[in-house]
Amino acid sequence: MELSVEYIRIAAYLGAGISVGLGAITTGVGSGLIAGGGSLGVMKQPQANDQIFRTMLIGQAASQTAGIFALVISMLLIYGGFDTPEGGWFKAATLLSAGIAMGIGSLGPSLGAGYSGGEACKSVARMPKHGNFIMGNMLIGQALAQTSAIFALLISLLLLYSTPNQPVDISIGRILIKTLAFIGAGLAIGFGTIGPGAGIGYVAGKANDMMGRFPKEKSRIMRTMFLGAAISQSTAIYSLVIAFLLIFAV
Amino acid sequence: MDNITLAQGIVKAAALLGAGMCMGMGALGPGVGEGFVAGKACEGIARSPENASLITRTMLVGQAVSESTGIYSLVIALLLIFST
Amino acid sequence: MAKKKSPILKIFILFIIIETALVFVSGGFNKQLQIGLDDGKFVFRNIQSHYDLQERITEEFQIDEHYRQTGETPEIYGSNKTYEFFKNIFGKATAIGTFQLLRMLLIVDIMLLFIALLIKKRLLKRPSQPQILFEMIYTTLEQFVIETLGKERAHFTPYIVTLFLFIWVCNMVGMIPIPGFMEPTRNLNVPLGLGLFAVAIVHITALKVKGVWGHLKNYVNPVKNPLFLLDIIGELSKVVSISFRLFGNVLGGAIIILVVSSLVSYVVFPVGLNLFFGMFVGTIQAFVFTMLALTYIGVEISE
Repeated sequence: MELSVEYIRIAAYLGAGISVGLGAITTGVGSGLIAGGGSLGVMKQPQANDQIFRTMLIGQAASQTAGIFALVISMLLIYGGFDTPEGGWFKAATLLSAGIAMGIGSLGPSLGAGYSGGEACKSVARMPKHGNFIMGNMLIGQALAQTSAIFALLISLLLLYSTPNQPVDISIGRILIKTLAFIGAGLAIGFGTIGPGAGIGYVAGKANDMMGRFPKEKSRIMRTMFLGAAISQSTAIYSLVIAFLLIFAV
Repeated sequence: MDNITLAQGIVKAAALLGAGMCMGMGALGPGVGEGFVAGKACEGIARSPENASLITRTMLVGQAVSESTGIYSLVIALLLIFST
Repeated sequence: MAKKKSPILKIFILFIIIETALVFVSGGFNKQLQIGLDDGKFVFRNIQSHYDLQERITEEFQIDEHYRQTGETPEIYGSNKTYEFFKNIFGKATAIGTFQLLRMLLIVDIMLLFIALLIKKRLLKRPSQPQILFEMIYTTLEQFVIETLGKERAHFTPYIVTLFLFIWVCNMVGMIPIPGFMEPTRNLNVPLGLGLFAVAIVHITALKVKGVWGHLKNYVNPVKNPLFLLDIIGELSKVVSISFRLFGNVLGGAIIILVVSSLVSYVVFPVGLNLFFGMFVGTIQAFVFTMLALTYIGVEISE
């Protein structure tokens, strides 16, 4: 069963659009949350203006990681030269699936990173003396929240680079199985990252908030944040395992 | 290649797509829920640090229970991949 | 109150002016300025470039693929002998990319050594500006180490500072406008190696502090933890997350700079992009990598 190269190109462009389109939604929302927190903080504590502004800028730059990943995947889909005619249905499915995985996969993590940064800005306004430590904690919390987006990036890169071309003599049933397995892998890791990303973002946001209220307990709060985030991460790891199995073991 | 009919192929393909969607959607709820638990635990530990070990234990038990739906999804996905 | 302009600000402004001038001189995307020696004659002229964006991206990010497609022989190397040597070791597939990566790593190492020797030679009681910068980096990171690990484990500071400075210089070095210069962290192998190293140090420290069985019983205890295999996968995912974060950010910045600059014909915009992605994101990601490596150690030994 042949597939001409135009259809593979259609799949690649569709995947690129889905990836960066979905990925931009919550990146924007997250940056807005951080800027909102910063504005509120400046209103409450105008003397700490410089510190709040710095925290806000750094938080916004760090919260855009998932959006940048989505952009990398869409650029690779457009210019990477994957549209070879011998790829067949397999190639079309992997290209579409890579876009879906990274697009949906950046929804949760950016939202979580944005919430965490917003709380950190308010917290710096409440306790400017501990601003540096709160900023470090914010960066760690955002990094934890974006771990699941990195899983999505990993699956997208694997789908792009390490899947085989379609063999010549192969039955339609086998093609269907493999194609839908690729799409299923993209959906699994894509939806699987939304929950953990948003949840860990909530943990990090609460930790930042409490660090501003009770700065004496900061090491204990940080340890609890790490423990809770590591356990919330487990469902994202299950999704990663299922996606691996769907790509390589079917 | 092995010879499987179109019908068999459709069934297996639907099972695989279902496995992917099952694990994806199934990870949504537990992730948010466990994050909420851990966030509240952070708040509690900050407010009353003398009860830290108690709060941590409650947090771990609560997360383990919320995790169970995620594990159900994992089991169903593995069944769909390997036993159809 | 009137502040005196600091020399760092002056250097910064000079850098922006130089880069703006370079950007204007290099002209539109379809034209390319050629300066250099051609057949023994000095040339200074605009030539029509034969690149389109696709070829340009291939050349920038998949250099081996580029030379395989065009069939040209790579010509930017000083001595052919070194290239042949690397070709024999690493095989034909990625010889040019590996050569470029190793060359850049060597340049970064020499830079770091040079800076260290220069600063050490000119240590002053009343510190100069560069000395203040490096002392500030050292004391800030030392404070983070003491707050996370406690005062008795302050001997981790040199490792943490070295990690930060290495990644920082690696992310900065791509901004130097010399052909063939790129960030070594753009290649996946460098972040992956650093991540493996960091996680290995975490576990070695934990083995030292808690004892062999005290550490291993968290992972191989099917009674207490029935899903212990997933814990091991979780440990591996630490390596993936810490290294792919750095890699993805640096690669994403490089791709955005290339594509957007070509869209606006290299006028003015790339300066801001380089400032944002090279300096700002580069510094933040170096800091995040360092802090994560530090906190992994802290969490593992605190329980």
